[in-house]
Amino acid sequence: MEFLLNIIERTGAKTVGWWNASYGVLRFMTEVLSTVANPSAWNRATLDTIVKQIYFTAVQILHVYLIYVTAISWVIITITLSTARNVGLFDAATEMIIRVLLLELLPFLTALLIALRSGSAINTEVALMKVNNELDALSHCKVDPMQFEFLPRIAGGVASVIGLTVTGSVLTIILAYLSIYGLSVTGLSSFSATISSVFSFGVLLGLGLKCAFFGLAVTTLPMAAGLETPKKLFMVPVSVLRGMMRVFLALVLIEVLSLALKYI
Amino acid sequence: MFKNLHLKVGLFVITVLVLALGFLVYVLHARGFFEQRQHLNLAAVSADGISPGMPLTFSGMPIGQVTSVTLSEAGGIVIKSEMSQDGAKWVRTDSTFTLDKPLVGGAKIKVSSPDLSSPRLPDNATSLLLVSDPTQEIPVLIERVKNILTNVEHITRKDGELNGTLANAKTITGRMSGKYGVLEGVLGSEENARPVVASLKNLESLTNRLNDVSAKVDAMLAKTDRWLFAEDGLSEQSKQSLALVRAMLTDAQGSLKRVDALLKNAVDISANVKDGTQDIGKLRAEIDDAVRKTNDLLGDINRMWPFSKDVDMKLP
Repeated sequence: MEFLLNIIERTGAKTVGWWNASYGVLRFMTEVLSTVANPSAWNRATLDTIVKQIYFTAVQILHVYLIYVTAISWVIITITLSTARNVGLFDAATEMIIRVLLLELLPFLTALLIALRSGSAINTEVALMKVNNELDALSHCKVDPMQFEFLPRIAGGVASVIGLTVTGSVLTIILAYLSIYGLSVTGLSSFSATISSVFSFGVLLGLGLKCAFFGLAVTTLPMAAGLETPKKLFMVPVSVLRGMMRVFLALVLIEVLSLALKYI
Repeated sequence: MFKNLHLKVGLFVITVLVLALGFLVYVLHARGFFEQRQHLNLAAVSADGISPGMPLTFSGMPIGQVTSVTLSEAGGIVIKSEMSQDGAKWVRTDSTFTLDKPLVGGAKIKVSSPDLSSPRLPDNATSLLLVSDPTQEIPVLIERVKNILTNVEHITRKDGELNGTLANAKTITGRMSGKYGVLEGVLGSEENARPVVASLKNLESLTNRLNDVSAKVDAMLAKTDRWLFAEDGLSEQSKQSLALVRAMLTDAQGSLKRVDALLKNAVDISANVKDGTQDIGKLRAEIDDAVRKTNDLLGDINRMWPFSKDVDMKLP
């Protein structure tokens, strides 16, 4: 009997924990959105911080990112082309490459890269600020941490995910064309026809929205996790762990939802 | 450092914006946003396997795509498609549109234009969509193969016709390997085949002789030809002599007429002189005889050489 009660109690505790965490994240999100909607938040100082965030999140890793995209795109394009040639579906190879790489894999990998590099850093930073009472100090000095610390990171994160994905996508399209047709313009019309058949306006809009949501997820979730940290230094790693786990789950969820919306 | 940072971020943002805008413009261009599109309606019985976005191909190259598939008021299927102006130039008034559904791979509408000199299809024209679907033929094919297999099974059963036929074939081929080969196989035995072979040999010698004969006849014909139709041949000579004979006869006829008149006078005279003399009666008989002979001669000549009308020569 006691065992059963124990189980029920533990389940209840877990549910309350999940609920609290979700509520915290949701509240943080609404706070972010209300700040975004507030025109006075977009002042010179905020914009300067956004520029800095874009620099640290995207520009600093641009060369690494491009090498990484080239490598992974080249490998996947080559595998797709040779497989398609073997099974006699070479006509479908271009579309397959565009659908798999451009629409799904590249945005996901870009978001994952930024989550690993910047998301974890944001999480740790916010957790440490919380533990060291820096956030309270900022509020005390009438400096809204949401406006000067969080919003620029989120805006920078979203812009970086979108920017890097666009750069990587263009690179991948060029690589795909070169792999299929080589250095000749003869395939341009048929390649354009495939591109046009894949990229309808709905698909383009969906891709942009997906990238934006990826950017939101890799910045807001670590921040929310950091803000949840109890004021104990040893809880910082736990906070980062939780935050990154949530980021990963959120990325998968967004990906699955986007696929479901597109194909079901 | 700060300025450098701004420069780098600015460069990145501008690059991303340019790439994004460029890509958008490229996609718009590829979708034919900047050029006039030509529309084409295709009528089909069924929308099976047809979906928006399906390509229209000419000689395997994409020239357009299906934009929508709708049901018409009459219950038929109307497939709306559009092409770029560049692609539309391959579509002519006598073009045919075939739905191509391969067993593996995506379906497409094949456009074939047998005559590229015929006029271009106007905008919003309606054409018929033909369907070539190998998957639909498979059940029919299987049914036929089943029938064939049943027949084969029936034929090859243990006491079937095929076994009997094969046994007969074995006997025949056994005979064929004998002295008289295929003949023995067909006729049944060696005794039956022997006379045939013998008569064939006879036939050979007969043909040889016939060859000799025909050679001789040939030579003879050549000679006859020369003899008859040469410059101084028989034909030429007889023509000349006949001309002479005819002249002679004409003369003879003239003299006879005169003699006839003379005789009439003579008869008149003899009647007058009553009884006359015995000599005159004799003379009359002789002249009659001469006239008869001349007539005979004329008849003979006419019978032998019917030259005046018929120049046909009868060869031996």
